[in-house]
This record gives sequence, C-alpha cells and structure tokens, in this order.
Amino acid sequence: MKCGIEIHQRLDTGKLFCRCPSSLCEGEEPDLRVKRNLRASKSEVGEIDRAAFLEQEKLLDFEYEFFNKCCCLVELDEEPPHDINPDALKLALGICQQLNMHVVDEAHVMRKIIVDGSNVSGFQRTCLLAIGGHIETSEGKVGIGTIAIEEESAGILDGEEGVKRYRLDRLGIPLIELATEPDIKSPEHCREVAEKIGMILRATGKAARGLGTIRQDINVSIPEGARVEIKGVQDLKSIPLIVETEVKRQEALVLLLGKLKGVKPEENPKEADLTKVFAQTSSALIRRGIGAGHSIMGMLLKGNAGLLATELQPGRRYGTELSDYAKTAGVKGIIHSDEDLSKYKIGTAEADAVRKSLGAKEDDAFVLVVAPEGTARMALARVATRAVMREVPGETRKANQDGTTSYMRPLPGRARMYPETDIPVLELGESLLEDSRKYTGEGLEAKEEKLASLLNPQMAKRMLKSRNLGVFEELVEMGVEPMLAASTLEDTLVALRRGGVEISDIRGTMEELFSYYLKGSFAKSAIIEILPALMQGKKVPEILDERQLHKISGGELAKLLEEHKGNMGELMRNYRLRVDAKEVQELLAKRV
Amino acid sequence: MKLNRAKITKGGEEYEGLILPSSNDEKIVLKLDIGYNMGIKREGAKVEILGELAINPGPEEPQQERGEIAILSMGGTICSRVEYKTGAVYPSTNPRDLMRNLPELERICSFHTKSLYAMLSEDLCPSHWVGAAEAAKEEIEKGAKGVLILHGTDTIHYSASALSYMLRDTPVPVIFVGAQRSPDRPSSDARLNLLNAAYLAKEGNIAHVGLCMHANTNDSYCEFHNGTRVRKMHTSARDAFRSIGAPPLARVEFDKNRIEELSPCKKRGGKLKFDSRISDNVALIYAHPGIKPRLIDSLGDYDGVVFAGTGLGHVPTNSFNTEGANSILPQIKSLCDSGVVVAMSSQCIEGRLNMNVYTAGRLLREAGVIGSGADWTPEAAYTKLCWVLGHQKDAKKAKEEMLMPLAGEITTRSVVE
Repeated sequence: MKCGIEIHQRLDTGKLFCRCPSSLCEGEEPDLRVKRNLRASKSEVGEIDRAAFLEQEKLLDFEYEFFNKCCCLVELDEEPPHDINPDALKLALGICQQLNMHVVDEAHVMRKIIVDGSNVSGFQRTCLLAIGGHIETSEGKVGIGTIAIEEESAGILDGEEGVKRYRLDRLGIPLIELATEPDIKSPEHCREVAEKIGMILRATGKAARGLGTIRQDINVSIPEGARVEIKGVQDLKSIPLIVETEVKRQEALVLLLGKLKGVKPEENPKEADLTKVFAQTSSALIRRGIGAGHSIMGMLLKGNAGLLATELQPGRRYGTELSDYAKTAGVKGIIHSDEDLSKYKIGTAEADAVRKSLGAKEDDAFVLVVAPEGTARMALARVATRAVMREVPGETRKANQDGTTSYMRPLPGRARMYPETDIPVLELGESLLEDSRKYTGEGLEAKEEKLASLLNPQMAKRMLKSRNLGVFEELVEMGVEPMLAASTLEDTLVALRRGGVEISDIRGTMEELFSYYLKGSFAKSAIIEILPALMQGKKVPEILDERQLHKISGGELAKLLEEHKGNMGELMRNYRLRVDAKEVQELLAKRV
Repeated sequence: MKLNRAKITKGGEEYEGLILPSSNDEKIVLKLDIGYNMGIKREGAKVEILGELAINPGPEEPQQERGEIAILSMGGTICSRVEYKTGAVYPSTNPRDLMRNLPELERICSFHTKSLYAMLSEDLCPSHWVGAAEAAKEEIEKGAKGVLILHGTDTIHYSASALSYMLRDTPVPVIFVGAQRSPDRPSSDARLNLLNAAYLAKEGNIAHVGLCMHANTNDSYCEFHNGTRVRKMHTSARDAFRSIGAPPLARVEFDKNRIEELSPCKKRGGKLKFDSRISDNVALIYAHPGIKPRLIDSLGDYDGVVFAGTGLGHVPTNSFNTEGANSILPQIKSLCDSGVVVAMSSQCIEGRLNMNVYTAGRLLREAGVIGSGADWTPEAAYTKLCWVLGHQKDAKKAKEEMLMPLAGEITTRSVVE
C-alpha cells in the first residue's frame, strides 16, 4: 500500500485576503442573501479541468448568506483581494521552517478552479510556500511534500432541489495545506502522522481550535490500484479503519477487473424510456416518480450480470459505485438487476419486460433511473462512464461514518490551477523568514521542554494539547505565575462550564482579569467568583466593590493576623477569598 | 505556442515542471505538475531541459458569416485574459476567444465579431470614439439588428455618451457591454451582461445608444442605461453602473424572455443622424479647495473646459472679498473672454446645477460659464463639448448648442427615483 495524508488547518489570524476576522457568525441571521451562478473557464493551458467541468454540467444556481460582521465585498467577489494577511503568511512560513522545508524564492498565488459553489469566485486562492521537508515518527522519517497557504471555502447549508446554499462567514479564513509524501507504512502509522502534524500546528498557539478547524484527506493506493483521495475525515481515531477499508476496496476492484476482462466496454450502451413498462406498477417509488412527471430510463450493461453484486466494501457493492456516479447528476440513486427487485415491489413480469425492451440476454445486467428525463439521461451517462472503466479509477471520495467511502468526483488535474492575476508575486526573502521564525515560536519539541520547566509534568502535557496554549503563553508573558495561569485556563474554566458559565472571549477576559490580579487588586482564590460576574458584562472594579473581594495584604493583613492571634486556619476560614495564603505564611514566619 | 519542460536543481532540491514566461531574467517561473506556479532565482540554479509541450490553441476558427448582431470589441476586462510576463490581465485582440466560451450566445442570436482595439479603457482617446462610431454606422448600414460594443469599464460611460451624440436617432440599439470580472473567472459577470445585451439587441424594440450590465449583486438580470446618463459608481462591484438623474431605460432578463421598459424609449426605425466630428482639445477639471489660479492659466490652449464644480455649480470665486480666501474667477473670466467655451457640471453627481442661488454661481455666469439649469453628469457634459466643438468653431453658437438637449443628457424635470 502507498499512503499519504493532506492536512488542512485553519489559522486564527484573521482572513487571508481581506481584513475580516476569522471568527464565524453561527446562529445569526444573514444580513444579505445573494444569488450567483458559475461556469468553468479555460485554464491557462487551454483545458477545462475534468472535475470542474463535471460540476458545471449540472448548471446549478447558488445562494450565499452574507454577514456584515465577518464578511466584506471580497468574499462576495465584488472587490479584488487585498494584500495577503502578513500574520497568516508568517505563521505558515514559520511552520515550513519548523518542518525542515525548502521555502520557494518567490510564491505565486494561484486560483484553484472549483465550481461547486463553495467559493463565490469559482476558485480557491492557494499559494505554494515550500517543498521537501520531513517529520520524525515511530517508523522513521515521513516526508512533507508541500505546504501551501490557502483560503477556506464557504460552509454548505441544506439546499432545496436545484439550489445550493452556502454561508460566507467561513470563506477566506486562512488554511495551511500540508501534504506528506506517500511514506506512511500502515493504517495505524497514518493516524500517528496525522496526530503529530496536528500537534506541531497547534503548538504555535495560533491555529484555530474547535470542530472542523482541522481536516485530514487521506491518499491511498495499492499496486494495480490507483490514487484515491478520501475527504472529510473528521477524527483521528477513524483513520486506520478508513485506510484498511480503502485498501480492501481497491483489492476487490482488482479482482473484479479480472472478471470484467472478457466484457467488452461499450461507449454508448443501449438506453430506453421504460415509463410505459411501469404504467401499472405496484412499486410505490416508481409510481411516485411517474406521478411527478418523471421518466423511467433504463440502460443495458452487456455481460455484467452478477458483477454488480460484487461487494467492494462492507455493505457497498459495484452497483453502489455505479449509483454514486449517477448521484453526481442529481438523482437519488439507481435500481439494478443484481438487486433484489422485490424490495422495490418490481414484479418478475416487469423485470422481464425491461429486459425485453433493452434486448437483454441472460448474462446482461440493467440499470434503472427514475428522474426528470434530462437528469435521468445524464445519470445513465455517468453510470456508463464508470461501467466502461477497465482500471481502478483515481477518484476523490468522501469518508462515511462507518469507515467506508463514496465517490464524489474525479481527481482534479493540473488544469484547475490558474494564476491569481489580482495579487503580485510574493518575494520570500531571508528577513521575512527570520520574522516568521520569531512570530511562530520555537516548535513542538522546544515547547514541550519549556512547558515542562514551567509546570508540573501532568499540567505540561495537558497544556501542550490545550486550545488555550496561546492564551497561556500570553499570560505568562504578562507575568502571571505559570501554574495559576494554567489551572485557571484548564481547571477553573472547565468547572465554570460545568456549572453553566461559558466564557466567550477567553483571551480578552483573561487579559482583563489578570491585569487587575497583577496589580494586587484581588487574591487568586477570588478568581472563580469574579469570572461569572465578568461574563455578565460587569467590570472588575465594580465586581470587587459589590462582592467585597478587594485583596487584603501588607499592613492591613498583618493587623488582621494579630486580631486572629496568629491563627492562620481561622483567618483563612474568615477571609478565604480576600487573602493570599502565601503572604499569610510569610507574615507568620516573620512574626515567629 | 510551446513551453519547455525542465528539471531545475537548486540548494539540494529538485523542481520539475513547465517553464512559463517570466517578467525578468533573474528568475525562472515554473509550473509544477501539481499545478502550482513558483519562482526560482536563477542564481545558483541548474536548468536541464527535458522536452517541449505544445499549448493547445483551441479549435480552428470557422469562417465568420454575417449575423444579425455585430459585436465590436475595444478591449477592457471583458476581453481580457492572463498575461504571463506580468501575471496581470491584458485585453485580448479577438472577441471570438470570448464567444467560444459562451455557447448560450448562439442560442440567442446569430452574430459576427470585429476587433477594433485591444486597449484598456483609460488609454482610449476621443479618436477611438470616432473609430467606434464609424464601425457602428457601417454595421447599421449593412443591416445589423443591433450592435454590441465590448469596452473596458473605467471609461465606458464616456464612450457611451460620446456615441450617443455621434449616432443620434440610431434605428437599432447600440449597446456597450463591459465586465467587472474578467471572463477567465468562473464567476465573471461577462456572461450575464453579454447574454442580456445580445437578447436586447435581437429582441428589444428600443433604439438607443446605452449600456447593459448587472442591475445588482445577484446574477439575475441587467439594466439598460441611456449612454448620456450612465456612470460608473463603484470601483469593483458588478452593479457599478447606475443611471444618474433618471431611471434606467429597461430591465433585461434573457432567461425569462423579458424586457421591461422603465422609461419612455425611442423605438426601432427611423434614419440615423451620423456626425462623428469631434474635438480632442477639451479639458475636464475637478474643482477643489485651494485650486491654483496657475492651473486655470494653463488651460488657455484648450477650445473648451468643463468644470466638475462643487455643489450647485461653483468654484472658488471669493465673492465677498474675504482676506485669505481663494479665487480662480479672474482666470476663468479671461478664458471665456479669449473664446474658450467653459461649461459647469457638479461633482455631487446627483442633482441639477443652479448658478443663481449663490453669488459665486452668478459671478461665474457673468464671466461666461454655461450650464446653469443643466443636470448633466460631468462626463456627459465633457463628451458633449468635445462633440459640439468638433463641428462648431464659433464660441457663442457652440454655447447655445451645448444647452440644447440632444440625447437625454439634459432633462427639464428632476424626478423622484
């Protein structure tokens, strides 16, 4: 097996080609809805990309939801892109250097043509920054082939038929796209590599965190098979199963090809309109279709009888693959002769009539599609495209929940890349690389060491994986004791969340809280009392006044200690939220 | 065209791909097999040529037959494609390049194409308006049902206005079309603009010189604007073009077979009044606080000057003799006295000139500046003065002609839109 992965990580630096924030507007009503359509245009070498062309054939209208808070005219394709976001560029270049890569002398922003509507412009801006790096893993070095920086696409919404709807808040957020060489040794190794790369990216403290902020695409091939790109792998745990299942799928396809050897591929298999055959059908599915004015189109697959039932993945057969191809034309699926037709309530007499209309012999199979005639014909044409293949096709596939995959589209070719003419080339000189190293920080290993020196081993490990790592570093930089910063971020916040208090802007909230703490305004034990009130929009001084949480220290504390006759236990019981135990101890020591 | 395939070795790393034309000799631009372009400094790089790749020029051009609609191209974004040397877009010479990517056009009308210029519109001069007007006249005389003129958007409203005077009473629509996004992009507005313009040229019973482009940010329909009333009101948006001081002439939706008139329109037919004589010796000056008298002094060699004045039609005149206040009134007066035709317009864009309300306006009128009462855009006034001075050398008569409504550039009533 050959296996490599491609990782897409969102960066938390603001959008790539405009100055909108890289936050989402979840749950909000859009300020504007815009209708657009797209068409595939010629690439610079005069070809239309196969994948792009396939989407365009569908002639879809797109609708976009626009939010003033996190989108501007750039996302709407009404304004040219601004200069590249310098922070995102520096972060990406810093990561390239951490991964021992050769940074290119001059980077060219390209347009990757994608006309499925997920980019308003019809292309995703992407820019190759470096090639030829590596990481160390338990099974030796794994090469990092390329690192590019690119724009995140728009998020799709549930659409009505014929209209695809997207939200524009996500569009344009910077992504680092990192592709490994096919050096991965096993399904389990694939998971390890994905995890390690994820840790390296997140150790910068500037990668976005949360659901969907990191995505893995897995490339798998076997000898006699083909490169297949599996998209939409959300969690690391599912990686080994997905890789194994794909290897088995390709092995099953190679066996199937052996059986197809004697079957002559037919470019234009026989098609017929079979609506009349089903005029009296008891199949509810077909009746519904006829009622809606749809046609029942059939196609003959010579010599394919029995083959469509060949299982390729658990619960998915060769017929399912053909069905996936048909679905790209906008139908819900196909019915084929290797299925148990009684489950559709299609009777033997009807099946015989279909075979007769198509002139099917015993060793022939047939495929039925129920859809408006044009759509049905297009769906059958897609089935025919797959049925004539006498090799394992290179494809882009989608990961399903159960570890299987479904066909999405052909692998994109070179033709989809076109220079972004609105942005001048970027010179990546030594001074920029140096700035980038400073900006990005020291890398995973150095970070591990540093955290180990600041925190106990257990907290160091938690902090390294924490989404609040960046905030932690900022707080330590401000002068907050590391253990206090870490326990506030990792323990206090979790405790509050369990109690129903969600801290929204963690960075801003922590900065405000600790700026007062460092001035000596309150004791650390008061933090858990102050935070919920801060979330209600109150200011720290106001909270301290209202709740009598001002810190007692110095002479006042000494006086209090005298009043308690040096009984620290009692003093702490009475003034737990207002005094610092350490200071009491120091005073006690002096007193003795 | 052929490109070299090469292997480049530098700093221990190997890069393989196609060598693209580069903007300078110090670097090599390589298109890698994964599609990305990258630049490599030539210094220290070893280049090994592996072979050649011929670039597919596309299908053979069929011999063009005359169609119902003539498509003339003057350049601009709508005719643009990428230029490798600079990496920016440049206008192509062949409008057929564009049509080849637009199969729907043939379903709307038969057409033939002709390239007049391949220029960015900011580089066009009044002489190019003459070229366009003459080409349009020739097509009209040969029986075209309509003429489309593809043009860069920066100055398309100047050209549309100029041709409105040159092709008065045109018997068929003469429709300027531009694009704010080049046709090499999947999201280009060129498609909707062109298909609607072609539909209007073929089916519409509206015979005006005008401009047809996106009505709003959606890819849904276009508006047809009178050539003398239209103006570019946004640097980059699809719906940059708006009618100023009047509603658009019509709303056009080819995919719904619909043309809805929004203003009274001249119908097809009648006889073309053609006059392409034009002066290219007119200046358009944007008045501003602190404008220097010496700037106005330098305008003496012009035959005409149009001011984009402030407010109701003003420039600094120091009407109350205030110390330290600015005035260019003496210089304007001497321009007028020397026979230069000076016309006023307003940089407010919307609204009518009235040079009676303030002393400044009255002083300018007394000095000989014309335009009070007009509601022309600065561009419509400028192109009109170019056209009037093309055939009228007498300043007094030229001023009278300027104030006569010719092609919708002056209306008599200010309506609520």
